[in-house]
Amino acid sequence: MSEPDPLKILGALERHRVRFVLIGAAAARIAGAPVVTEDIDITPATDKANLERLVAALKELRARLRSPSDRGGVPFPLDAHMLRTADLWTLTTSAGELDICFTPSGTRGYRDLRREALRTRIGPGISVSVASLRDVIRSKEAAGRDKDLAQLPLLRRTLEQIRERKT
Amino acid sequence: MVGGDLLVEARRRAGISQAELSRRSGVPPSLIGRYERYEVTPSLERLRSLIRAAGFELSMRLARVDPSNHDQVLIERELRRTPAERLRRGLMAGRQFGALTARPRSVRA
Repeated sequence: MSEPDPLKILGALERHRVRFVLIGAAAARIAGAPVVTEDIDITPATDKANLERLVAALKELRARLRSPSDRGGVPFPLDAHMLRTADLWTLTTSAGELDICFTPSGTRGYRDLRREALRTRIGPGISVSVASLRDVIRSKEAAGRDKDLAQLPLLRRTLEQIRERKT
Repeated sequence: MVGGDLLVEARRRAGISQAELSRRSGVPPSLIGRYERYEVTPSLERLRSLIRAAGFELSMRLARVDPSNHDQVLIERELRRTPAERLRRGLMAGRQFGALTARPRSVRA
């Protein structure tokens, strides 16, 4: 794998016109929460046409299954039908790690997250739909993993400060 | 999480609409909508009763103020940046963090 560059991942998804919402720590950071983010998490729309576009983008990014025993990842048959056989895919690509989650905890997936998502310019010529901080918090609360719970106070504080700025 | 968000979260968890919450609480749905959009701030007692009507209890506790206000300063600084800058810096920090945590692996290899 070459140097990780998550913007390349998002750029490829946009070029292939994949409908998705950026979620997780990257979304929280874009909203203003001072959290560290190492990879990209997305929730794509699940219609067949979108999944086929997603597959095309993943092929361009040479996506493989992430594996603790093989840093290069494990090849797998990449097609739209296969993607729908699991809710969560943890992938490694030529541009870094990418997690695809169709139904993040506490949400009902793309259509649910899209309602509050904001189209945001996140790099030169790259604009993506970013989940609202409120939805990121909702999802992390529902997931309840230690690493999610540890971030929650900072995310809530950020949300409060954003609200205070608006009033 | 503040008033409007708590209301939305309570309704979502309960799986009920503004109309249903209105029916249960006696508060007009238009007003519930205005609370959720932060157009009007409910009193604490009103918020508590709405959340109760959704089937939850609003609990509060006293916590000592962090005199350093460290998080607040970091957040303010972040909010002054553009979204693109925020993401770029977050990813840069992530790469540095990843490099630090990857070091023991490379030593073993």
